[in-house]
Amino acid sequence: MTVQPTPLLSAERLTKHYKNVVALNDVSFHIHDGITGILGENGAGKSTAIKIFLGLITPTSGKAVVLGENASENIGVRSRVGYMPEHDCLPSQVSAAEFLTHMAETSGLPPTVARTRAADTLRHTGLFEERYRAIGGYSTGMKQRVKLGQALVHDPAFVFLDEPTAGLDPLGREEMLELVRKTHREFGISVLFSSHLMADVERTCDRIIVLQGGRLVESGEVQQFTKETETVFIEVDTNREELITALQRRGIAVAVDGSGLTIEGPDESVYDQIRDALVESEAPLRRLAPRRRALTELFERA
Amino acid sequence: MTAPAASRTDSGKGREGTVFDIGYRNYTGVREGIGRSRRAIFKDGIRIALGFGRGGRAKILPWLFITVLSGLGLIMAMIAGAANRLAGPGAAERLNLPSHNDYYGIAATIMFVFASVVAPELLCRDRREGTINLYLVRPLGGSDYIMARWGAFMVVFLFAALLPQLILFLGLAMGDPVPLQYLKAHWLDVPRFIGAGLVMTAFTTGLAMLTASFTTRRAYASVFLVGLFLITTPFTVGLSQEIGGKVGQWISMFSLLNIPLHVSDVIFGAPGELTEQAPARAFGSAALISWYALWTLGPSVILWWRYRRLTP
Repeated sequence: MTVQPTPLLSAERLTKHYKNVVALNDVSFHIHDGITGILGENGAGKSTAIKIFLGLITPTSGKAVVLGENASENIGVRSRVGYMPEHDCLPSQVSAAEFLTHMAETSGLPPTVARTRAADTLRHTGLFEERYRAIGGYSTGMKQRVKLGQALVHDPAFVFLDEPTAGLDPLGREEMLELVRKTHREFGISVLFSSHLMADVERTCDRIIVLQGGRLVESGEVQQFTKETETVFIEVDTNREELITALQRRGIAVAVDGSGLTIEGPDESVYDQIRDALVESEAPLRRLAPRRRALTELFERA
Repeated sequence: MTAPAASRTDSGKGREGTVFDIGYRNYTGVREGIGRSRRAIFKDGIRIALGFGRGGRAKILPWLFITVLSGLGLIMAMIAGAANRLAGPGAAERLNLPSHNDYYGIAATIMFVFASVVAPELLCRDRREGTINLYLVRPLGGSDYIMARWGAFMVVFLFAALLPQLILFLGLAMGDPVPLQYLKAHWLDVPRFIGAGLVMTAFTTGLAMLTASFTTRRAYASVFLVGLFLITTPFTVGLSQEIGGKVGQWISMFSLLNIPLHVSDVIFGAPGELTEQAPARAFGSAALISWYALWTLGPSVILWWRYRRLTP
């Protein structure tokens, strides 16, 4: 993965206090082109970080830089940024076409361009046929698409998506995740994907930032985390104790996991040593398979 | 990007059609910034107030009020015209029939009910449905939003206030045996009713919008506003007459309906029918104008203060 020299978003020693509550505590990270997931439990500081990046609140100390501009000093940068909130935010009486046109104008686009962009965006988000119906009559999935559409209608360079799959059924969730991927892959818009659903982040994002209690716990590429937590699972019919001894003799840390054994973070050479240990211990092999841990374990590690 | 998606031969004679998938196109044109954002909120405010771009039901109430107000102006013009034709030129003035200043007194109740319906539409729905959260992440602040909405209400209310006056003025001119002579003699009525209309509008806008900003329920705001505008008048008038003296005059000052009408009287140079007997007149023009300014600027400043630091 190529790391770009200039990050799209930067948090530089970001701290935010609400009276005695510390929402963010000396947090620093950079976000580059691509889809970045921001993970954390409720109160971890995700929303505070997003609000600071949008220039809605000022940090107690530190700096948030968005597209090269200080977020709290220049609200003009918001015309190049999109935001899809988690909660309801759509007017019930107007049509999606009318609403997106209005939101494009509110982001600074001229009226004629706004109309064209609204129609294009609704086509890309799969709502073209329904665009003249009042939003109040839409399903949850369609409303989520309108919410995504209003965040994209002015063609931002960066978009913040706050729990975009909230309230969706499995099919709707799958379609929304595909739209998120498409947002970067086809539209060229970088994404900060805030969620507490690890599976969504793991399947959609290139990189992750993990916040806990206002502190940065982890940040880096998703693959790196899943690789770091890769294990080999071994199951034998008999002679399990002999196999453990043979593995330990070869300097391999082994843990008992139910009926089997696990070896953490193995490199390629460990498979040869497992083979030798199996031969030495005369343990009949039932199963030998690599197993990846989920991102959930990031929280357990923290 | 071109996808040779479908080609069709028409009756096999070589006519082919191709569907072009132009894909996603990035926008490289001009971004007009905060000025365009403010204008968009303002324009949307006018559309909400008049029900444009919404279903039929959203149009009923605002246009019903505008029609009633205009009808009132038309009826007044027709009565004056009939009097002039039946009793001779200038009969309407001699008979002291209601004219431009009296119109505001007569129509004030309807105008305030109109404000009670429209102002909550402009503010309550945005907060109740959460749409304001989307505005505040655009390149504008809370004060830009509220000023644009304030301006939209003001324009709509001014339209509702001035259209009947214009109908009345033209009706009176047409009803006169010599319309041109009427226009020459009464042209000053035009800046006067525009000025009085602005006075009425500025007062109503601040108070109605401030009240609407305290709740997300349109019905609550509307009911409260109707009560505020309409109930204070009979209550204060009755009480001020009962108590009398300086205290009675002060109580009379709190008749919200009369506050802008006193300033309207100053503009027209004569008291209207509704304010002629008001004890508050004893305070004099300067005090009444200052009182009006306090009730107009105060709510508008508080409204701006409430919205200036608003975050989603």
